[in-house]
Amino acid sequence: MSTFFQTLIVGLRLGSIYALIALGYTMVYGIIRLINFAHGDFIMVGGYTMIFTIPLALRMGLPAWTAVLAGVVVCVLVGVGTELIAYRPVRKTGTAMTALITAIAMSLFLENLAQAIPAIGPNPKVSSQIFASGGISIGSVTMEYTTIITILISAVIMVILYEFTQKTRLGRAMRCVSEDKAAATLMGINVNHTILLTFAVGSGLAAVAALMYMAQYPKVYTTMGSLLGLKAFVSAVLGGIGIIPGAVLGGIVIGLVESFTTSYISSSMADTFVFLILIIVLVLKPAGIMGKNVGEKV
Amino acid sequence: MKKWKLLSMLLVICMVFSLAACGDSAAPAAEGGEGSSDEPIVIGVISPNTGALAAYGNGIVTGVDLAVEEINAAGGILGRPVEVIKTDDQSDPTECLNAFNSLVSQGVGLIIGSATSGCTSAITDAANEEEVCLLSPTATADSITTEDDYIFRACYADSFQGAIAAAYAKQAGYEKVGVVYCAADVYSKGLFDSFSSACAEYGVEVVASESTASLDVQDYTNQFTSMVTAGVDFVYAPFYYDVIGPYVVPQARAAGYTGVIMGADGYDTTPDYVVEGADLTAFNDVYWTNHYDPSDTSEKVSSFVSAYEAKYGSIPSAFGATGYDCVYMYKAAIEAAGTDESSAVRDALADTSAVYECVTGTFSLDESGTPVKGAAIISFVSDGSAVTSKLVDVVTELP
Repeated sequence: MSTFFQTLIVGLRLGSIYALIALGYTMVYGIIRLINFAHGDFIMVGGYTMIFTIPLALRMGLPAWTAVLAGVVVCVLVGVGTELIAYRPVRKTGTAMTALITAIAMSLFLENLAQAIPAIGPNPKVSSQIFASGGISIGSVTMEYTTIITILISAVIMVILYEFTQKTRLGRAMRCVSEDKAAATLMGINVNHTILLTFAVGSGLAAVAALMYMAQYPKVYTTMGSLLGLKAFVSAVLGGIGIIPGAVLGGIVIGLVESFTTSYISSSMADTFVFLILIIVLVLKPAGIMGKNVGEKV
Repeated sequence: MKKWKLLSMLLVICMVFSLAACGDSAAPAAEGGEGSSDEPIVIGVISPNTGALAAYGNGIVTGVDLAVEEINAAGGILGRPVEVIKTDDQSDPTECLNAFNSLVSQGVGLIIGSATSGCTSAITDAANEEEVCLLSPTATADSITTEDDYIFRACYADSFQGAIAAAYAKQAGYEKVGVVYCAADVYSKGLFDSFSSACAEYGVEVVASESTASLDVQDYTNQFTSMVTAGVDFVYAPFYYDVIGPYVVPQARAAGYTGVIMGADGYDTTPDYVVEGADLTAFNDVYWTNHYDPSDTSEKVSSFVSAYEAKYGSIPSAFGATGYDCVYMYKAAIEAAGTDESSAVRDALADTSAVYECVTGTFSLDESGTPVKGAAIISFVSDGSAVTSKLVDVVTELP
C-alpha cells in the first residue's frame, strides 16, 4: 500500500509541473491557434534567470522564491520579444504552418543562444534549496510541501485564467480574437495588442512553472525545455488544447500515467505509455478529454 | 582614350593571372614541409567540452594541456613540438562523428577521445576504416576495444569496474543487492550487466532491478521505493554526476532508502553538483569506483596533482588524470615507433609488453588495448553542508 501512495505522490509531483507548463501552451493556443513550441524554452529562460537571482534575493534577506519576480519580468520580455520579432511578421505573410515552423525554429534558437552566453554556457547548473524541505506524512510516505504548493498554484492559476478570459474585458477581447480576427477588428479590438498581452501572460506563467520545477528538480540546463515542453504539450492536447481546466487535468493524468507505469509495469517504458495514452485518447476523443468537437484541429 | 582603356584592361588581366599563379604556387609550399624535424606532432582531442557532461571534457582538456606543456618544455617528442587540435562532441554521438571527420580532414592521425562510451562507440568503426589511432581516456564499455584494431584506452573496462563493485558488496557482507540503471545507455547498461554477472559469480543475489527510460529522467523515487520494498541495503546505480547530485541521491533518501548507494567513475565531480541548502548528509554511504585517487602519496600522483593545482587552482578529476596519461602514452608509443605515422604508432601501442608508468597506475595494455590496472574505491563524506571524497580502498585484482 505504501508503494501505491508513493507512486501516487510522484505522479502528482510530475503532473503538477506538467499542468503548470501546459497552462501556458493552452493559453496561447486558445487565443491565436499557434502551438508555441518555444514555450518549453521560456521555462529554461525563467530557470536560468532564477539561478542568477536567487543568490541576490538570499543576500537581501528575502526568501529564495521571490526571485520568481525577476523570472517573470525576463520571461515576459522574451515572450513579447519573440512575438514581435518572429511570430508577428510571419503571421502577416505566412500561413498557420509557417507560424508553427517558426515556433520550432524559435525553440532551437533560444536553446543555442543560451549556450552561447558565457555566463550560462552549456554546463548544467544546480539551484539551491527553494522551499523548506519536509511535508505531510501519510503512513510511511511523505507528501512534500513543494508538491502541495505546486498543485495549489496550478489550481489557483487555472481559476484566475478561466475567470479572466470569461469575465474581464481583456479576456473577452482575447476570446473574440481567437474566434474571428477580422470581426474582432471591426468591433474595435486591437488584435495585435491582445495577442501581445496573451504572450505576456503565457510567458509569465512559464517563469512560475520554472520556479516550481526547480523547487522539485533542482537542475537547469539549456535543452531542458525540449522534453519538458513536449510532455506539457501532450498534456494540453490530452486535456483538450485551448481549454484551460483541460490543461491541468491533462498534466495530472500524464504525470500519474508516467509514475504508475514506472512502478507497476516497467520502469523503462514510462514514456512509451505516456505517448500510447495520448494516441488512445486522440483516437477515442480527438478533441481531448474536455474538448468539444468544433471541426478545426491541428 | 581607347588606348588607355586597352592598357588598363591588359593590366587587370595581368593582375588576375599573377594572383592565380600565386594561388598555385602557395599550395605545394604548404604541403612540402611535412616530416621535417621541427614540424609539430599533431594530436587531436575529442571531448564533451559543452553539453550535459562538460565537466568531463574540461577535465580531459586541462589534463592534455598540462601534459603537452610539460613535454614541449622538455624538448617535445623525437625533438618535435606537440600541437593539440581540440574538438567538442557535446556528449552527442553524431557530433562526435562530425568532430572525428573534421580532425581526419585536417590530416590528424593520432586522436585522444572521447570521454563517454556512447560517443566513442560512434567513431571506432570510422577510426579503423581511416586507420587513425584512437586512444580514449575514459570510455569504459567492454565493446569499445577489440583485438587487432586502432582503438586503445587509458582506463579499465566496465567488466572490471562492475565486478569491483560486486566484490565490494560481497566483502562488505551484503547478500542481497538491488540495481537502478538506465536501459537506454551503453555505459549504464554495460555496468549493470557486468555487475550482475559478477554478483552471480560471487554468490551475491540481485533481488531487485529497476531502470529508467533515458538519462533525461528527473524522478527516481519509484525506482528506490521498489528497492525499499525489496528490502535491500545495497543498490548499484551507475549514472553520471549530473543526475546523481541533484536527483538520485536526495530522492533515494526521501523515498526512505537508507542503505549504500554504489556507482562508478561517472560519480566523479558530483560534489560540485549538489543542492546548496539541502540536507547533504544524504551523500553519506555513497561509494564509487574511480581511475585514481588524488590523495595518493606516490611520487607520480603527487607531482601530477601539484602541477595541475599550480596551473588550474583545483584538484584534477580522474578525467584530467586519464587525459594527461593519454598524452604520455602517445609519447611512449611515438618514441618506440620512431615516427608519428599512425600505423606505426598503432603497432607500438598494440605491443602488450610495453609498460606505461602513468598517474592512474603502472600498466601494460592487453590484446584488446585495455590497461591491466586497479581501481580506487572512494566514498562521499558529508557533514551536512558540503560533500567531500575519501579513499576507501585500492583494488588491483578481482577476488
